[in-house]
Amino acid sequence: MKADHLYKKLEASFPFFEVLLDKASDDDLEALGQESGTGLSVDELKRIKLHFDTLGRNPTDVELQSLGQAWSEHCCYKSSKSILRDFVFGIDNSQVIDRGDAGVMEFDEKYAYSLRIESHNHPSAVEPYGGAATGIGGIVRDVLCMGCQPIALIDPLFFGSLDHPHDQIPKGTKHPTYLLSGVVSGIRDYGNRIGIPTVSGGVYFDDSYLGNCLVNVGCVGIAKKEDLYENKVGGVGDNLILVGGFTGRDGIHGVTFASAVLTDKSETESRGAVQLGDPIMKEPLIHAILEVGQKKLITGMKDLGGGGLSCVCGELAFAAGYGVDVHLDRVPTKEEGLLPWEIWVSESQERMMLAVSDDNIDKVMQVFKKYDVPATLMGKVIPEKIARVFFDGTVILEVDLEFLTGGPEYCRPMAHVKPDLKAETKLPVLPSDNVDILLDLLSDANVCSKEWLIRQYDHEVRGSTAIKPLQGDIRHSTHGDASVMKPVADSWRGLAIAVAANPWLTSVDPLKGGKSVMDEMCRNIVAVGGRPHSLSNCLNFGNPEIPERLGEFHQAVKGLGEVAEALDLPIPSGNVSFYNETAMGSILPTVTVMGVGIVPDIRKAITADIKSHGSSIYLIGETKDEMGGSLLYRKYDGFCNNAPDVDIAHLQNSIDKVLAVMDEGHVLACHDISDGGLAVSISEMCIGGGVGADLNIDSDQIASVELYSESNTRWLVEVVRGAETEFEEKMSGMPISKLGTTGGQSLKVSHNGSTLIDIELEKLDKAWRETLWNKMG
Amino acid sequence: MNIEDIKVCVLRIEGTNCEQESFQAFKRLGAQPEIVHLKQFLGQDVTDDEKRSLADYHILMIPGGFSSGDYVRAGAIWAARMKAGLKDDLKAFVNEGKAVLGICNGFQVLVELGLLPGFDEIMADVPQAVLTTNDSSRFECRPTLLKHENKGNCMFTSKIPEGDVLMCPSAHAEGKLIFPSAEVDIAYKKLAEKDMLVFSYVDPDGSYAGYPWNPNGSEKNVAGICNPRGNVFGMMPHPERVMDREMHPDWTRAFPTGLGDGMAIFESVLDEISKRF
Repeated sequence: MKADHLYKKLEASFPFFEVLLDKASDDDLEALGQESGTGLSVDELKRIKLHFDTLGRNPTDVELQSLGQAWSEHCCYKSSKSILRDFVFGIDNSQVIDRGDAGVMEFDEKYAYSLRIESHNHPSAVEPYGGAATGIGGIVRDVLCMGCQPIALIDPLFFGSLDHPHDQIPKGTKHPTYLLSGVVSGIRDYGNRIGIPTVSGGVYFDDSYLGNCLVNVGCVGIAKKEDLYENKVGGVGDNLILVGGFTGRDGIHGVTFASAVLTDKSETESRGAVQLGDPIMKEPLIHAILEVGQKKLITGMKDLGGGGLSCVCGELAFAAGYGVDVHLDRVPTKEEGLLPWEIWVSESQERMMLAVSDDNIDKVMQVFKKYDVPATLMGKVIPEKIARVFFDGTVILEVDLEFLTGGPEYCRPMAHVKPDLKAETKLPVLPSDNVDILLDLLSDANVCSKEWLIRQYDHEVRGSTAIKPLQGDIRHSTHGDASVMKPVADSWRGLAIAVAANPWLTSVDPLKGGKSVMDEMCRNIVAVGGRPHSLSNCLNFGNPEIPERLGEFHQAVKGLGEVAEALDLPIPSGNVSFYNETAMGSILPTVTVMGVGIVPDIRKAITADIKSHGSSIYLIGETKDEMGGSLLYRKYDGFCNNAPDVDIAHLQNSIDKVLAVMDEGHVLACHDISDGGLAVSISEMCIGGGVGADLNIDSDQIASVELYSESNTRWLVEVVRGAETEFEEKMSGMPISKLGTTGGQSLKVSHNGSTLIDIELEKLDKAWRETLWNKMG
Repeated sequence: MNIEDIKVCVLRIEGTNCEQESFQAFKRLGAQPEIVHLKQFLGQDVTDDEKRSLADYHILMIPGGFSSGDYVRAGAIWAARMKAGLKDDLKAFVNEGKAVLGICNGFQVLVELGLLPGFDEIMADVPQAVLTTNDSSRFECRPTLLKHENKGNCMFTSKIPEGDVLMCPSAHAEGKLIFPSAEVDIAYKKLAEKDMLVFSYVDPDGSYAGYPWNPNGSEKNVAGICNPRGNVFGMMPHPERVMDREMHPDWTRAFPTGLGDGMAIFESVLDEISKRF
């Protein structure tokens, strides 16, 4: 290969090289960045060269690889950091306890909860089963290394259309049905085996995800505050003990693979970047970690994720202001003959690094022996802020940790081209009968029942899922807005967990999209009786080196941050995933938010299904003519650049009022209005309860806006018969309208007195329920 | 004896994952549960103060999960490890009339161990039945309704009237109980004669029904059985997940508060043990 001449073999009992940066031309450097798999740019390599010039030597191959990991987009957020700093990093309040691999928030006086969501997109696009499974493994470790017991998994997934013709699938790409099936199996087999319930998520379909599906994985955990740990060592002299699975050639260059666009060769070239999962190593690892944590046998810990040992060793020590000596030859490997740099950067799964004082080494080893989990003493914390790695007695890496972890930061050029104000509005071509429209929307893959996958996930292992992802009469349950966990045995306090994402709206108007995703997350949590408390986000975008893409990112993050800041909702953890694009183009800008809310007493939680006959249905909020990005327009080929906006003060006020009226006991059911608008929302409520409704909307707006607009900050509520006056008084000052009553076995919706929809529940149920079963079997 | 003195062993190995809620079920009723790793009985890789003896407990519970990954037939690896190191202790435990409960993966382990159905002896050398892959070939997590069929033999349902229907969720991929084809008729005859049938899957109207109310395709809708003495009991659904009404899938529809349907099973066995010992 072109850069081979830059490698000079060094004296050692194993393959070990000096990288001759001092003799490299720009062309050489470019080739080196690509061929080494580090993805380092010419400028970055020059910066590395300058640093080593001051030391009077060239880097070794191990050092170069280490820098490639640490300076990857995935690890150091070089393109996004300045934007995140402007809009989200500063949001803080007294409820934030820690911002480590997972964020940690106050739950009550005694307990804390932790949360994080991240992406595992590229591995899942290449190998859906393993990619998704190890995504779960990784996010669980993030929560675990804060000292928390994982209690819930959350998986928003994005694929190309399931109906895409097989013969039109681009080269190197797998069909969405294969990907969906593989991803769901991966989550199921890993999540169910480690015994953590999968309680929330979402599946979204759009052909922009055809070549690059998105698999976002979230986890929430709980711990007594006294059992929390930080991701740093206790002090000089602490020992580093590597625990968990063996290290192998799986997961090499995972972070650099995640930091480049996918190509038709990714399948063959990057297959080795996908890790292999072993849930039956993870399950006892969870127990052993929590046991040594609760027995106070460790001083800190961190999980091995992106970059493997090369990231964890330095970061764990440097976070406390120290450095490390590491003996890489002690690492147990899956096979013979791994090169030192491979061991150093491998992202093999189920591994954690513990910091342990001399006194406790034996006790820690004993615990891991009991659980049959390998544990290896492999390093020591030193006062100098350097990482020094030994292999068979030879120093193969010695780098300044400030340099290693101080990756580049870019203010790349951006262009704001959306909303496209010049784009002409194109009205959708609608079927004349609203019943046909409603059935089309209900059976759309983005709306239809996700029972096919929800029931493959164990959503109630651990016995603490009080509000489940499927709600209502057990004969015909419906989607809920959020799940509610009861994490502490002797307390009724709960955690509501919800996901929100609307890539279509974000695509039309990234700023409003960022805000709308926050609004949706809040609506979902409020709908079950929770007060939004914190969130974690996963920002999935295309190539940030393209100004339009980075512009979308900037605007979406700005919108998200504006709402979060105004509502005092901290974002103690998050993840950015760039380069989600292929030769066919970028994915839609996809902001995924995992929100967590506090439910003061789960016995007051509310579900979406209609509960009784003769109660009243109210609409809370205003329906506006802002159809940009709506399901109706997408389905019937319309376009409009006016996407739903968020009135943040109104959102705050609505949250307070809705929660107050729920607390009074006047609300029997509540469902937010999102994809497909009011018509879809009321249908789902009726389906879940097996009870119909008769509604009339009085308004000056056209019916298609009233029925299908996706305006923000709206809910439908079922109010106890006889409590209407109290409800209206309590909601005074809010835009509410009584739409009608529940009852019967059909849904009837009129507009200014003329009937638009009149259909039996059975037909609604069938349209909504069967799509995914028919497509996936 | 008093319930406070009843010692419950909630046994685990790698891949067991329902031990915490199982522990909690016994604890909230006042008994003394303890989560014990199989290696603590076998004396492997544990300190002296971690060693335990099965004889010190009154109830042995094998909880749900994917023991050793269940990469071969569910429960087979765990059963083999127990048989190898604990066979005599187990036989003595059952022979003394102490109680053994297996839920989900635990039920699979009891069948693989030969403790269930245990038609003619405490522990058969070769499994007499098998819990095989669901008819749907999928993992099924869904609410299931269980009709209590036992006429008084089973220690774990003594407080539940015959004919009552309980809501206990199912979550498994291998829950279809089948017997060797040559012995099917005689097996069901024995189950009936010896009052070993405990729970059957029914639909919301209380009738025997097919999928999805029977989530696995189990012959004759069998969800749980006990041994002829009534002191070894296994079931696929999870009573430990519905100790509170608020853990039922549809509790918000009726505003009830209080106990969940699963509690009666744990109350029954604690009551029986307290009467007998």
